[in-house]
Amino acid sequence: MNTLVVGLGNPILSDDGVGIRVAREVAGQVHDPRVTVTETSGAGLSLLDSIAGYDRVIIVDSIQTKEGNPGQIYHLGLEDFSLTKYFSSPHQINLATALELGRMLGMAMPQKVTIFAVEAKDVTTFSERCTPEVERVVPGVVKMVLEELNG
Amino acid sequence: MKRITIDPITRLEGHGKITIFLNDDGSVANTYFQVPELRGFEKFSEGRPAEEMPQITQRICGVCPEAHHMASTKALDDLFHVQPTSTATKLRELLYSAFFVTDHTTHFYILSAPDFVVGPDAPPAERNILGLIAKVGLELGGAVINARKQNHWIIQTVGGRPIHPCFGLPGGVSRAINEEERAQIEEIGKQSVEFGKTSLKVFDDVVLKNKEYLDMVLSDTYTQKSYNMGLVDENNKVNFYDGKIRVVGPDGKELCKYAPKEYLEHIAERVEPWTYLKFPYLKKVGWKGFVDGVDSGVYRATPLSRLNAADGMATPLAQEAYEKMYSTLGGKPANYTLATHWARLIELLYAAERLLDLSRDPEITSPNIRNIPTATPDEGVATVEAPRGTLTHHYITDERGVIKKCNLIVGTTNNYAALFMSIKKAAEDFIKPGVKITEGLLNRIEMAWRPYDPCLSCATHSLPGQLPLEVTIYDAHGNEVQKLSQGV
Repeated sequence: MNTLVVGLGNPILSDDGVGIRVAREVAGQVHDPRVTVTETSGAGLSLLDSIAGYDRVIIVDSIQTKEGNPGQIYHLGLEDFSLTKYFSSPHQINLATALELGRMLGMAMPQKVTIFAVEAKDVTTFSERCTPEVERVVPGVVKMVLEELNG
Repeated sequence: MKRITIDPITRLEGHGKITIFLNDDGSVANTYFQVPELRGFEKFSEGRPAEEMPQITQRICGVCPEAHHMASTKALDDLFHVQPTSTATKLRELLYSAFFVTDHTTHFYILSAPDFVVGPDAPPAERNILGLIAKVGLELGGAVINARKQNHWIIQTVGGRPIHPCFGLPGGVSRAINEEERAQIEEIGKQSVEFGKTSLKVFDDVVLKNKEYLDMVLSDTYTQKSYNMGLVDENNKVNFYDGKIRVVGPDGKELCKYAPKEYLEHIAERVEPWTYLKFPYLKKVGWKGFVDGVDSGVYRATPLSRLNAADGMATPLAQEAYEKMYSTLGGKPANYTLATHWARLIELLYAAERLLDLSRDPEITSPNIRNIPTATPDEGVATVEAPRGTLTHHYITDERGVIKKCNLIVGTTNNYAALFMSIKKAAEDFIKPGVKITEGLLNRIEMAWRPYDPCLSCATHSLPGQLPLEVTIYDAHGNEVQKLSQGV
């Protein structure tokens, strides 16, 4: 099964870069040739281009919810996107729509999509580091991604 | 007084908020437009080697990294007092043309076209790319995906990396292209020109042949008579990569034309107490408030402004489309905000034609891609046209080339005042005493800002293709009486 791990976000905008932080850690620990780890700031159509052709996709991103605590981790599947119609990440990924578009156009879309999202605290200050609340959960998210890959 | 808030709360970057205050009779008393500012970029840059700036600045924005990379690379040329070789200049412009094809394609088909193809009052669930494809057919959908994919291949091949190029160096670029790559780029150029023509035909069929839409484009609600800014070449033709900045009034008269280095002599910034945003305006004319006309220093830097500020397009098919647009709209300049979508498609065709021309240039595969800088760095300024407006990078360094000061005027910033005015005017025209506030009405207010494609620090361009809006209506005592939302 060909798998793509995508870290999404902006690596110089504090917690917005947590997905990329995680992806870089994961890349250093995965040696399976069937697994590709990538990072991008491009969502929407660009994401659609990236995920086409893979059997499985694991996305790591930041998120901000109304009552979330910084560092809180969400393990989401596609069904969460259809249930929560208005789910909206910093990068406006509406995965359900992207996948529907891909299928409509006859592109090879992944059978399984998993999303790990980390509640962000600061996404408006330029910094290569996450806030301490988010930084401390990075190893945990990396572990979850690796377990997902092996599971 | 009642209050309406349009607040896409779930957005992290680009969280914009429109607040509309109503009088007791239900008419609009005032409108405010606020976005949070990304903080600390200057501090983040200070102390770094200037050569890192093309890599760093392109991370500011998730939407147009290529534009920052290019402005930054050109600012390094200026900083290190070195001219890039002819081939390097052409490779940069070639990549930049491919980028404009991808970006304008995305904007038109994802953000603009659904309003017209599916309809401005259609339910949000249908007014998106899927609804568009359902109407116009799978073939066009495939062409959109293909145009983006192929031109991204060019960016990756020439720029060294997809989305975030790493080829710009002071005095040139880091890699030449070979004949095999050139031939592939030429083929993509040909297809992109066809795609540009097809896109203009879509606009023609869907918008121009529909009287209701054409009337909407020409309506007073979406008309704004502000100054127009854009880069022009030595013949006053539109240029994205290089040239002088020309400003033309709503009356069609040239106000000024200046080199990027002189930008501080022409642009000043207005600060308002209710927002972090600073509103740039034309110094020569002065700040007269949020009003249009020749006496107000408010200007726009959009695809339409670029066409208004120029005397024409440098490529034949785009020039033909340019002439058709102005003859349809009743002459130059056109002050119709919604015509920005049309101008964007003319620019798409121009970018495709430039791409094809450059791919056929005999110098393009030359290995002479760099002049090594030898002068001591001090100060550098450069301007390019980003898809969303004129983009200027300005660096001051010590003698080692370490950044001491950095100032950026990004595309959307130029348009803040005009954008705010467009929203205010639409709100005042649509929200009237006794009129029920519906999603369709909200969308028509949103349509006043969509042509600017505001890059409120990044995030307004991806699927689902619309800004999340939330409108909360408060009565005179501040109690919530109605709530409408779309895409939140």
